[in-house]
Formats: sequence, C-alpha cells, structure tokens
Amino acid sequence: MNFWNLYGHKLLVAIGVHFLYVLAAVSIGFVVALTLGILLSRVPSIAKMALPLISVFQTIPGVVFIGLLFLSLGMVPATAIVALAIYAVFPILKNTYVGLLSVDKSLLEAARGCGMSKMQSLFEVELPLALPSIIGGLRMSTVYTVSWAVLASMIGLGGLGEFIYIGIATNNNALIVAGAIPSGIMAILLSLLIDAVKKRITHAPQKEASAA
Amino acid sequence: MIRFEHVTKKYGDSVILDDLSFEIKEGEFAVLIGPSGCGKTTTLKSINRLIEPDAGHIYVNGKDIAETDPVKLRRSIGYVIQQIGLFPNMTVAQNIGVVPKRLKYEKSEILKITRELMDMVDMSYDEYGHKYPSELSGGQQQRIGVLRALAASPPIVLMDEPFGALDPMTRSSLQEEIIRLHKKLHKTFVFVTHDMDEALKLADKIIFMEGGHIIQMATPEEMLENPASDLIRSFMGKRAADSAPVQLTAADFMRPNPISVYKNRGIRECTEIMARRHIDSLLIKNDDDTYAGVVSVNSIKRSGKTTGPIGEVPLSENAVSYVTEDAMESFDKLLNSDKDYVVVLNEDDTIAGIVTKTSMAKAMADALWGDAQ
Ligand SMILES: Nc1ncnc2c1ncn2[C@@H]1O[C@H](COP(=O)(O)OP(=O)(O)OP(=O)(O)O)[C@@H](O)[C@H]1O
Ligand SMILES: [Mg+2]
Repeated sequence: MNFWNLYGHKLLVAIGVHFLYVLAAVSIGFVVALTLGILLSRVPSIAKMALPLISVFQTIPGVVFIGLLFLSLGMVPATAIVALAIYAVFPILKNTYVGLLSVDKSLLEAARGCGMSKMQSLFEVELPLALPSIIGGLRMSTVYTVSWAVLASMIGLGGLGEFIYIGIATNNNALIVAGAIPSGIMAILLSLLIDAVKKRITHAPQKEASAA
Repeated sequence: MIRFEHVTKKYGDSVILDDLSFEIKEGEFAVLIGPSGCGKTTTLKSINRLIEPDAGHIYVNGKDIAETDPVKLRRSIGYVIQQIGLFPNMTVAQNIGVVPKRLKYEKSEILKITRELMDMVDMSYDEYGHKYPSELSGGQQQRIGVLRALAASPPIVLMDEPFGALDPMTRSSLQEEIIRLHKKLHKTFVFVTHDMDEALKLADKIIFMEGGHIIQMATPEEMLENPASDLIRSFMGKRAADSAPVQLTAADFMRPNPISVYKNRGIRECTEIMARRHIDSLLIKNDDDTYAGVVSVNSIKRSGKTTGPIGEVPLSENAVSYVTEDAMESFDKLLNSDKDYVVVLNEDDTIAGIVTKTSMAKAMADALWGDAQ
C-alpha cells in the first residue's frame, strides 16, 4: 500500500514510456527490416555476404552501443529509440529474407507464367507466403526490445529500467520487482497480441504450407 | 499458330534444344513426349518466354514473340506448370481469377467465368470456391490448375504433365475432361507427357523428342503404324508390335485345335460330344485328315437322322482361310458370313483352327491396348 502511494504514479509513467520506446523502436525496425529483407532477397548473392555482417553488428553489447549513440546524439529519447530500432531490425530482416527465399520456386514460375509482373508476384504471392515467417521475426524483435529497453534508463531516459537500476543501487528489492514484473508482462502480452494478429491474417491452411 | 524456326537453347556447353523447327496449327491438340530431360519443358517454356532461346525464332500467330512484351504474352497464353503451382495463399476462386484480374476484368465477370469453369469440371463454386488449395485432393488441384490456365480464355494453353502425379483412375477421368474441354473450347493445346498412353489418347499430333531433337511428328495412328525409331517403338510397348496388325495372318488369331471328328463317326456319338463340350457344331474331316465341312446341331435335326455315320448329314459350307492368309481377310470373311467362325486350314488342307468373333475382338484389343486378355 505504502509502495503504491510512493511509486504508483511513477510506475505508470515508466510503463507508458517503456511501451512507447518499444512501439517506436519496433515500428522503425520493422519498416527498415522489411525493406532491406525484400531488397536482399532480390539479390541473394549480396545477401549471403551482407547478412553475416549485419549479424556481427548484433553481437555488439547494447550498453556499448547506447553509450556511443549517447555521445553523438545526446540525452534525447531518439538515442534510445534509434539504438533499440537497430537491434529490432535483425530478427525481422533475417526472417523476411528467409521467408521470401523459401517460397517454392514453382510458385514463382506459376506467378510469372500467369503474367504477373515482378511487383505483383512480390506483393500477391511472395510476401503473403513469407508473412508467417516475417511475423515470427516481429514477435522475436518485440520481446527482445521490451527487455533491451531497460537499458534506456542507463542514460537517464526513463522507462521500467529506472526502477530496476535504482532498486539495485539502493538495495531495494521491491523496486527491482516493480520494474521487472511489468516488463515481463508487457513482453508476454505483446507476443500474445502478435500471435493473435498472425492467426487472423494467415489462413488456416497455410499452417501446412509453412510446415512443409 | 505456333511456329518454331531453328530454335536452339544451350546451358553452358550442353545443347538442350538443337535447331528445332516445327509448327502447331490452330485448334490442334499437340502432345510433346519423350524421355526425361529431352527438352519438353524447355520447349514449352520457350513458347511463353519463361525461357529465351539462344538462337532461332518462335512465332505465335505470325508474330515473333521475341518482340512482344513477355508479361502481355503470358496473359494471352494459359500455362499449367509441371508442379500444379496453385497459390496456397489464395482461395480456389482467387487462383482461377488470377489472370482475368491482371487483365482488369470486372469482378462480376470474373465471378461468372469462375463459376462456369468450375461447373465444367463438376466442382461447384459454392462448395469449393472459397476453399484453399491445401484443402483439395490432388486431382481437384490439377483441375483447378487447368481452369486457371483457361480463365482468361487464351487461344493457346500450355500444359506440362498436368496429370503427372495422379492415380490411374483420376488420371483417366481428367484425360476425358481435357478432351471434352478441347472439343468445346477450340483452343490450341500443347501438352507435355512422358506417358504414351496419354499421348495416344489425347493428341491430334504427337511430337516425339529425344536429346533436344524432334524424332517424329505424326498423328497417333501414323506413329502406331510407323514408329520412326526403336525408342518410339519401346515407348509404345506392345501397342506397336514389330509388325502392325495388317501384316498379321489368320494363324495369329485362330483358336487352334478345334474339335473335329472323322466322317464315319456315329451321329449319336457326335451329338454327345457337342453336348459335353457345350458347342453347337463340329468340324468334319475326311479319312486323310483333310477338311470336309461343318455339321451343326440344326442340320442334324433337320436331316431327321439319329443313327448312322455323321458323314451322311449334309455338311454346311463355312468360309475357309489358309493359315498364311492376312488376318484382316479372314475377319472380313467372318463378318460377311452368317456363321460363327471361319475355318482355318493348313497348306495341306488339314484343319488348323477356327477364327471366331472373340478372336477378332482380342486382335483389336491387342492392337489398341497392348497385351489385353
Ligand atoms: N536451368 C538449367 N540449367 C542447366 N540445365 C538445365 C536447366 N534447365 C534444364 N536443364 C537441362 O535441360 C535438359 C532438358 O530439360 P527439360 O526440363 O526441358 O526436360 P524435360 O523433357 O521436361 O524432362 P522431364 O520429363 O524430366 O520433365 C535436361 O537435361 C536438364 O537437365
Ligand atoms: Mg519437364
């Protein structure tokens, strides 16, 4: 009770800020990743070299990265969002690329044979068929981003991480839990939401297609 | 309608199509056949520019297709790919409507076409239109694949082994359907198969390929009668025996060793033999084993005799063939006589066998379907 009186308002704000970081970062990451993924899938020879390079990026510790961005961009929310968006890109990019490339070659030929242009084939056949894979990547990115967003507070940008860091610094377990639980719940709720969306927009029979 | 002029296609050093020239006429049902890898699919895909030849020209309706926009060209040529290739993310109706949609038909028009086409193959729109391809059987998917190719009513339809992976029953019913569609729609069909039965059943013209060449281009009858190579002969199996049916003799189709008796056998004995063997006539021979004639139950009855040698009953005159005689001739004799069989004699006039209507039917079955019983 006491805790709620003391921190309740701050916690709600932190949850809101955290969520906005995730939303902004994943949205930006999604658009970038989708575009890159589509482009790379058109030129698999380049993609074979580019993808490992990008994945190396991914292994740079988040702290280092945010620190560097902080130095160049300063203490603005954009710093956190850009950093998180970059991390959000890779799972979606990889799944988009793999999803597009795993579309059955005979279907591409059927699309051409039916007189579809390259764009029509992409938007009407390839992307719809890669969608389950792309959404899988989106889900992964979202869950990661929720936990990475904790880092934002390191540079004083708020979010649920603030509770955790203050809790650790002041040896206050209640604060740590107050930061950790909402971010855990946020991750679970968002991934459930994405699963629900995926179910809605991919047709039932496609389960077979993606399993094959 | 479709004309190849010196078309060559290479992949690296290997020549896949070697200076192909041929023509398929409007409304023709042309079937490309040949061993795996002989270039059937490559030939087919050259027609809608999914593959570009390295040399030569292909004309569709007198126009060199190299000078037409490939996307437009493909919308005017139906194409059924070797692997069916229905889009799994689209319903059956959407799959059928793919090309009309590209051609900007009205929605209501597309719906009408889709309904009509589905009715033609006995799959009602209401039941199947909104299903996804994975919810259909293999045969149903193949049907929809063919309908998709027909939807924009293209004058030419290319089909690459559309019935490849089907059980024989479904396959044969789809073959019937495709023949019906061809009769009804008056389109030019180019159909690839490696099954000679299918080719013989469907084709107006069979184009037999091997190693990127055309070995023979002929109607099914011509190809059956005069296969141009041993490979074609082996593709046709029993259907084209080493000698065509015209060269077969009466001996090839007669039933050997028919029941025969000497003239001096008793009448009663003969009727007993007939009763026991369930036959209504006997071949009668002279003492020197030469053929004398035929005696039937009826003629015995009419003679009123019950005893004495069978030779005293008037013999009837069945038509006679010699063993070396052309089978067709003895079939003709049989058809022109009122008797049940023609008697086949050896050179020395002894009895060799009889040719019945059953032997004739068997001969025709052999010729048409190979080693039928
Ligand atoms: N993209 C390619 N690169 C190299 N070789 C190819 C290519 N496509 C086809 N070939 C070769 O060309 C030859 C003819 O192929 P094609 O697909 O036309 O054969 P097909 O007669 O349709 O055979 P099947 O009955 O097995 O379908 C084959 O030997 C094949 O290996
Ligand atoms: Mg083929």
